Amino acid sequence: MKSVRLKWMASALLGGVLLLGNGLALAKDKFTVDLVNEPSSLDPHVQWNPDSYYVYRNIFDNLVTRTNKGDIAPQVATSWRQVSDTVTEFQLRNDISFHDGQKLKPEDVVFSVMRIVDPKFASPQRGQFDKITKAEVSGPQSVRLTTDGPYPALLAQLVKLSIVPKHVVDAVGKDAFNLKPVGSGPYQFQSWQRGVAVTLARNDKYWGTKGPFATVAFRAVPDAATRVANLQAGSSDLGVTLNSDLVVPLKNSPRAKVVSVLTERVAYVRLNTTKPPFDNEKIRQVVGLAIDRAGLVDGILGGYDKVLGQMLTPVHVGYAADLAQPVFDLKKAQALVKEAGPAAQTEIELATSPVFDQRIVQAIQQMLADAGLKVKINMSDMASYLKRAQGGVDGVPLLSFGRWSCACQDADGVLFPLLHKSSSWSAYRNPRADKMLEDARQTLDAKKRQDAYRGVSQIVMQDVPLVPLYQSASLYGAAKGLEWQATPDESLFLNRMGWKD
Amino acid sequence: MRAFLLRRLRQVGVTLWGVVTLVFFLQRLTGDPTYLLVPETATQADIDALRHALGFDRPLWVQYGSFLAQLVQFDLGQSVVQNTSVWSILLSRIPYTLQLAGGALLVACGLGLPIGALLALYRDRLWARGLAGLVFAAQSMPTFWSGILLILLFAVTLGWLPPSSVGGIEHLILPSIALGLLSMATFARMTRTALLDEWTKDYVRSARARGASSARLFWRHLARNASIPVITVAAIEISNLLAGAVIVETVFAWPGLGQVTVQSILARDFMVVQGVVLLGAIVTILLSLTADLLYSWVDPRIRLDGQTR
Repeated sequence: MKSVRLKWMASALLGGVLLLGNGLALAKDKFTVDLVNEPSSLDPHVQWNPDSYYVYRNIFDNLVTRTNKGDIAPQVATSWRQVSDTVTEFQLRNDISFHDGQKLKPEDVVFSVMRIVDPKFASPQRGQFDKITKAEVSGPQSVRLTTDGPYPALLAQLVKLSIVPKHVVDAVGKDAFNLKPVGSGPYQFQSWQRGVAVTLARNDKYWGTKGPFATVAFRAVPDAATRVANLQAGSSDLGVTLNSDLVVPLKNSPRAKVVSVLTERVAYVRLNTTKPPFDNEKIRQVVGLAIDRAGLVDGILGGYDKVLGQMLTPVHVGYAADLAQPVFDLKKAQALVKEAGPAAQTEIELATSPVFDQRIVQAIQQMLADAGLKVKINMSDMASYLKRAQGGVDGVPLLSFGRWSCACQDADGVLFPLLHKSSSWSAYRNPRADKMLEDARQTLDAKKRQDAYRGVSQIVMQDVPLVPLYQSASLYGAAKGLEWQATPDESLFLNRMGWKD
Repeated sequence: MRAFLLRRLRQVGVTLWGVVTLVFFLQRLTGDPTYLLVPETATQADIDALRHALGFDRPLWVQYGSFLAQLVQFDLGQSVVQNTSVWSILLSRIPYTLQLAGGALLVACGLGLPIGALLALYRDRLWARGLAGLVFAAQSMPTFWSGILLILLFAVTLGWLPPSSVGGIEHLILPSIALGLLSMATFARMTRTALLDEWTKDYVRSARARGASSARLFWRHLARNASIPVITVAAIEISNLLAGAVIVETVFAWPGLGQVTVQSILARDFMVVQGVVLLGAIVTILLSLTADLLYSWVDPRIRLDGQTR
């Protein structure tokens, strides 16, 4: 009798263990993300690159954030109001604690703003916030930010401002903070095995939506084919920065799937309109007419990207949905080349860099050659490319391929730098466009801004200083069980993910 | 011996100075890293301010002088991308590179030396010719291709080994094979040639005439004498394994010096690149010195003053 009872108890115990084991298997405790490189730094103010912000945006809260749909939403700030054209006041949450247990105070917000705009601190992100001239505590749970003029894109920029704890940064200094960051976000820093992985642990005391995974490892996997193989083998759960060719095996994989999203990044060709032959409007129009955008998107990019006729995407403030779609008309382009005569026979340099998709660059060269232009590709490393691209009217190449993102989803971050005469990127001179861009930058009236940017987009279509090509897609590979909606701002917010076995 | 070492030490000093100088100026011909550090929307004033903060706006000779001054104090400087000291970056990566080079050397020697011996001893057999073909095929495959094939077969299809990254010893197997196969072919060819050279010499014929067994002949005479050129190749191959790891480390996400070199070159992280090249130069020089010392140990007829007895 005793032995029967013992057997029963043993069976019950074994069954319990199996049930428990099965229950645990339903949860995803360790989540693995394959990035291209390891973060260059985890101090959110000292660098600007995706592999860093994929990680640190989970460690830190921002003053405001964007929803998955792209709307600006409260985060550390619960609400905000315009005190005057140049002063905005933010009310802050009072229930946020940093990972060391200290409360997040308005002083931390002021410190974070003043740290990133301090020229001596030399943050690479300073240009995104340098319109802010002053930050001050204005109440027990409020701060005021002052800008050097009316600045409608302020909130769009502040979605990138991470709040760091003043007491920790003051105590440990910049270098130590980079190695062991303390934030208030849904995940806290656990370890950094240099070159291998940064591991974060869930912040169980987080004030908002908690993360679904107990720990998350962000690994550096530079080779894209290896990132795909890791997903196929089940050794990673999410891989970033893939292209349409690489994701093909994932479509039939029993373990992985493809996740894609149209981003705010716009692929475009820029013309130096101050130099021959592009000082001739007809030859500029040839470039706009001869490029088969649909051919590029469907034939080369696998159909994930979307043809664009303006430099703004539907996720940008300032996008004009009613403007005409671009036209591909090779015969008209050829006729314009003939009409232009010898001026169209100048050899044209098409500047590019290895970081861009060379299949696209070569296709553009061929399409322009079909129209009758003589285009020669000039490939240079990214640093040299960027130096020339920002060389003003004298330095900007005749033609250059690029992909633009201001990471702000606002027309001011796209059209102003690419077109306004004061910008080193601009190789275009049009006082009417400059005036519209200045007006749009200096008014807080949303309708006036929208009208101004619509006007600029029309000028771009008619005068062709830029040829918008397509809205770039971001392609990820993900484990089948991951429930996640990728966002146009290319962030990986872990607490917006879910898991289903 | 002492005079030899002193002479070599002087050469080492001049070589290292030449290497660091060349790398310093060549890198600066390749563009301004400041542009890669800022968002596209940064204004020229922001770029100029960052360039000033990083010291890249100083005259080139001032930057060079301060670099040399740091170097003599064994200070390799600070990474402008990773915001940490170059030493800490290199020290964190060296163990991984040594592990991989060790694994690859094991594959290269463990397969290359016996295969080379078999190719020499059974050179007229058909299977030996087939084996030679395989060796050449292994040498002809670029590692970025063989690496991915190994991952697809052993990690994705069979699921026997992890596809990438570090962990237990099982993570080391595929990258060691991918990297080691190249050197394996070199070792095999060199061993075969060296053994065949020795085979025709008089002392071998005499030993055989005296009735020395094949095993004794091989281990006592042939292998020892044939090892001189193999040692030379080993010194070069170990340097190649460290340098060739650049691609294998990238394919297998192996966090060694090769991977950090590629990343630093792409990001124009000058200080890290300078540190890696300096380290590579020191290792190559030390390996070459070790090979010289080994010659005299293996074959006492070779003297370190450059003459033979």
